[in-house]
Amino acid sequence: MSVKVKQDYSYVGKSVTRNDAQLKTTGRAQYTADLKFPNMLYGKLIRSTIAHGRIKNIDTSEAEKLNGVKAIITAKDVPSMKWGLSPARFDENIFAIDKVLYVGDKIGAVCAVDEETVYKALKLIKVEYEELPAVLTVEESKKEGAPQIFEEYPGNVNTEIHHKFGDCDEALKDAYYVRTDRLQGQRTYHAFIENHCSIGMWDGDKATLYSSCQSVHYLQYHIARVLGMKMGNLRVLKTHVGAGFGGKLDPTGLDFSAVILSKMLGQPVKMFYDHEETFLNGHGRHAIGMELTTGVDKNGKILAHKFTAIMDGGAYTGLGIASAYYAGSLLGVLYNIENYQFDCYRYVTNLPPCGAQRGHGQPQPRYAFEHHLDLIGEAIGVDPIDMRLVNARQNNTVTTAGYEVKSYHLGKANEMARDASGWKEKRGKLGVGRGIGVGNGGFVTGAGFCQYRTDLPHSIGMIKIYDDGTQAFVYSQAIDIGQGSDTVLLQMAAEAMGIPYENCKMYAGDTDLSTLDFGAYASRQTLMAGWAVKRAGEEVKQKILEQAVEMFKESGRIKEGWAYIGNRELRPDDLDCKEGIVFVKQEPNLTLTFEEVARKYFVTKGVLIGRGWYHPGKLGGNHKGAAVGTSPAYSSATQIAEVKVDMETGQIECVDTWDVHDSGTIINPKLFHGQVHGAFYMGIGETIWEEVKFDNKGKLLNGNFSEYRLPTALDMPPVLSLTVEDSWEPNGPYGLKEVGEGATTPTMGAVANAIYDAMGVSMTELPITYEKVWRALKDKEKNEKK
Amino acid sequence: MANFTVDKDGIKRYLVGVKINGSEYTRVIKANTLLVNFLREDLGLIGTKKGCELGDCGCCTVMLDGKAVNSCLVLAVEVDGREVTTIEGVSNGEELDIVQEKFIEHAAYQCGFCTSGMIVSSRALLDENPNPTEHEVREAIAGNLCRCTGYVNIVEAVLDAAEKK
Amino acid sequence: MVIGHRSKCIYQQIIRMLQFSEEGDAERQIVVKFVMQVDNYLKRGGENVYLPDFEYYTPDSIAEACQLLSQFGASAKVIAGGTDLVNKMKKELLAPEVLVSIKNLDQLKKIEYVPGRGVVIGARVTHNELVKSEVLNEKYSSVSNAAQQMAHNQVRNAGTVGGNICNAVPSADLPPIFIAFNATVKLTGVNGERTLALEDLFTGPGKTVMTQDELITEVVIPDQKMTGSNYIKFGLRKSGALAVVGVAVAVQVENNVIKDARVALGAVAATPVRAKKTEDFLKGKEVSDELLAEAGFIATGECKPISDIRASAEYRTDLVRVFTKRALRKAIDEGHV
Repeated sequence: MSVKVKQDYSYVGKSVTRNDAQLKTTGRAQYTADLKFPNMLYGKLIRSTIAHGRIKNIDTSEAEKLNGVKAIITAKDVPSMKWGLSPARFDENIFAIDKVLYVGDKIGAVCAVDEETVYKALKLIKVEYEELPAVLTVEESKKEGAPQIFEEYPGNVNTEIHHKFGDCDEALKDAYYVRTDRLQGQRTYHAFIENHCSIGMWDGDKATLYSSCQSVHYLQYHIARVLGMKMGNLRVLKTHVGAGFGGKLDPTGLDFSAVILSKMLGQPVKMFYDHEETFLNGHGRHAIGMELTTGVDKNGKILAHKFTAIMDGGAYTGLGIASAYYAGSLLGVLYNIENYQFDCYRYVTNLPPCGAQRGHGQPQPRYAFEHHLDLIGEAIGVDPIDMRLVNARQNNTVTTAGYEVKSYHLGKANEMARDASGWKEKRGKLGVGRGIGVGNGGFVTGAGFCQYRTDLPHSIGMIKIYDDGTQAFVYSQAIDIGQGSDTVLLQMAAEAMGIPYENCKMYAGDTDLSTLDFGAYASRQTLMAGWAVKRAGEEVKQKILEQAVEMFKESGRIKEGWAYIGNRELRPDDLDCKEGIVFVKQEPNLTLTFEEVARKYFVTKGVLIGRGWYHPGKLGGNHKGAAVGTSPAYSSATQIAEVKVDMETGQIECVDTWDVHDSGTIINPKLFHGQVHGAFYMGIGETIWEEVKFDNKGKLLNGNFSEYRLPTALDMPPVLSLTVEDSWEPNGPYGLKEVGEGATTPTMGAVANAIYDAMGVSMTELPITYEKVWRALKDKEKNEKK
Repeated sequence: MANFTVDKDGIKRYLVGVKINGSEYTRVIKANTLLVNFLREDLGLIGTKKGCELGDCGCCTVMLDGKAVNSCLVLAVEVDGREVTTIEGVSNGEELDIVQEKFIEHAAYQCGFCTSGMIVSSRALLDENPNPTEHEVREAIAGNLCRCTGYVNIVEAVLDAAEKK
Repeated sequence: MVIGHRSKCIYQQIIRMLQFSEEGDAERQIVVKFVMQVDNYLKRGGENVYLPDFEYYTPDSIAEACQLLSQFGASAKVIAGGTDLVNKMKKELLAPEVLVSIKNLDQLKKIEYVPGRGVVIGARVTHNELVKSEVLNEKYSSVSNAAQQMAHNQVRNAGTVGGNICNAVPSADLPPIFIAFNATVKLTGVNGERTLALEDLFTGPGKTVMTQDELITEVVIPDQKMTGSNYIKFGLRKSGALAVVGVAVAVQVENNVIKDARVALGAVAATPVRAKKTEDFLKGKEVSDELLAEAGFIATGECKPISDIRASAEYRTDLVRVFTKRALRKAIDEGHV
């Protein structure tokens, strides 16, 4: 059933031009920081300069005297209700009350007439602390007698997970080969280029908040909750967003401050971060320490797998619980593992909080597992791709944890990647200093549950047809953070209505104007908002076809037999509409235009609106934590990377890459491949270069793009991106599945395995820097001499 | 010497005349005004973006006398008497430059935040070197970081724009 | 203004206005046991701040520039490309009260070959002008190649030769290759001009022998007997990276025998350093792989690298070995590359 039904689509599957093309290429697209409102003020946060301590005194007197300073607020000026992204762990305040938990923690906000004055005022504010001992690593955090960061997390354990499926110990007894590996991931950062910015303003008791965010709904929910407002009184909207990758999902101190300060002062207030502050805002990838034990049979079939993850969560929870569950919950999706055990501990530390970053919780465990799999394959003499083929999940199966997987073509992806990359000619044959490696991955297509407890639908779409029928306005709170969700939603809406894509316009990401959607995270947008707008489009079309039947009948064409199909009267299902033309399916020459039908509808029945909604319903998995990992659909992917390693200096060059994705129907191939390119890019960066570093006082060392090194255009290899053609997902609109996050999950494994193939030393710590490679080679040389 | 006037706080304010996108602008500014802020705040040319503000990301790239530079590292007083081209000056009104057309055709942007700088760098390259190699394209945009695209479609777009010229 | 002493009243006001919940108020007990630290300078905002106010001068002659520098002394800085200076001012590593712009000094923008003197490079020549210079590409393309490896395109379009030298950053890319060519710098001050060997200019990180009134006006690469030269920069990515190690060499090879050699190392000591023992070792010897490998080992004894966020001292030392060997091989085999 997971085979694509060939259909003749007008827009689905076509690389139509993005709806924001003109704006973004001419510099006219306005991001939040580009907006100016009359009489607008500017503000920034006051931040902690120590990692852990009590606030003794905040002296704002000097700053107050500065000409142009309008307000300085701290915890005592704002509500103290705790909040958090996970309802199970509300542990954050708008501003730190009593205790600061990391260098950069929010203490208050300064507001002034211009940006320059804000910076000057910040320097004049004196904060006096009673410094407390800080814990800056997981090792320190878990030590007995370690300073306790939160009363509610004894032993500094924020989240603890123990999943057990089948019987690992029993299965390991029968294994042909058992291996244990320990690997370490690093703390990384989303590194979008647009810094967070928020603008608040009020009209009577109604507030408006512009924010560069990934979910207007969650922002509205949390801010309204903490400020004691009705959600409907707080309009949250975004303009263009300069990417997110998970880093713009959590409400920031900017959002709260913008709303509060603008109310206090009666003027619009723009709150902004500079670049280093976006690092301090954090919520990037956790550093995970990983131990894996796996038993296989002679062919490499996995019999049992035990995985332990130790995560450095930083100061607050944010989405961290979900990150912890995601570290293990998809293990049994990719590969068919009957017996597995997942144990996880997420510790709090006095560093910026960690959270979701593209692939959420998964990429480091995937790196560990994929590298571990290669080491096992090497030990038992099985080719890495064969290892993966033996274990790859099949179509229409249920995982050990109970997740239902409809379309799944991981095996095919491996075969295609193998053939496209010339694997057989290259693997093990490229000589010293050159290597090729494979990694597999995939992701959920939307989370099965809302982030907070609710019975709301996950997405609602609405389409309004303009009076004369020439335009369709599509409404959704879906958030285009660059991935192109507006464009693909318009494609699906146009397809569903049967009108030209060019005649559709998006009103997205506005809680007043558009309809509910939870936003851009967990790779949910295309499937969930897709279903909602598709159904809304179908309702529009149904109304159009009904109207068209009436019009055919009234047109006087009855006499000519136009209102009849055979002997019976024409019915709506005898008609169809494509690209703006309504026609009788059996008599395609009998047509009306969408425009004339829609106009007639408007004249006789009023405004023409289509509505659609989506809720995933009850999904698979009953164990504790099943909510993180259960999804209507799962993508899968194989990536292969080819690298060069300078055996004297350790310098690594990624020279070529391949990705084969099993994403069901591809709505817009160009945007799809763009997602693969970007995901690969982030994964390569995280494998070789990227790591957020701190000094021994918890102060950020490299909150800039000079020392937090993203690959440049000269470092980035070509990417060949392919798709499994016959993949079709029954749970996705038009048969689609996700791509944006799944494509980051195989990369670290693929690149690390290629590096291993090139240098012959297993690198077990990310990032695999030039110096680490150099050192490993030196150590190898020394050992060989002995 | 630079023309200036002194404000009530004793801060000197300097007269700056600069040609931006073909039009002459004259303004009185403080010496510490950075070109990026001058463009965005004083002139409303918001197509030039502020990212890292330390010359690492390239999203504030403009052409100064035809050469791509980071406007976050240039003092606005330094451009007195010189010529600046921003993203707003790359297209001719509604008529897009070939680089812009090719960025659209190749879907060479996603979030769009680096795009202004990326297009300015690409245009500056093609002005000087109408037929660059792929390496030369990558070299020209290596100071423009893009987290979304992996540069794959950008490089294709610039090469395609070059061929069409 | 809504601050400080009025905040309690304002708090009540906000609660009224926003119907704020007071939940959690009980938690708010500030118990102070010790005064551990008084942070009278909030470091947040230390980066990316608006530049502090300063005065700005645009002299029309070198003499006038020197006069201004002399007049304002330590509170003044010269601005040319600004790529380093503005960056440092944002990070508050420098806070000049006066900037003297040399934008009008067009006489400092030329690159020309002057018979008898050598290649004369004006201080305001940008890195990309070095890259594209016909004179250099013809005579010493290793200098162009060194410039090409710096920072990224936008910085190369703005940053200048004078700035790269006088900032005395240990990892600067131009000094090693210039020193390998035994280049001199001309300094102009209120009391006239002086010329000295570039390698004698630096005294420490950010420090030179220049007096406050002095301006670098030109760099001169004297006529060479050297038959080949090369600079290898090792950064942690291919663009936008500071040198972790930079090795420049110039060699005079005749009949496969090294007649003369100069080796200069960057980013591995407080200043760019000459590897004189390595040079002495090479002189008079026949070229062989073993010889060059040995030279690399000797060079490791001539650097004093530090460990920092980018690399350990141990790694840098071994990289000196590798790149000394490789740079020599390139210079010997391929000439000035």
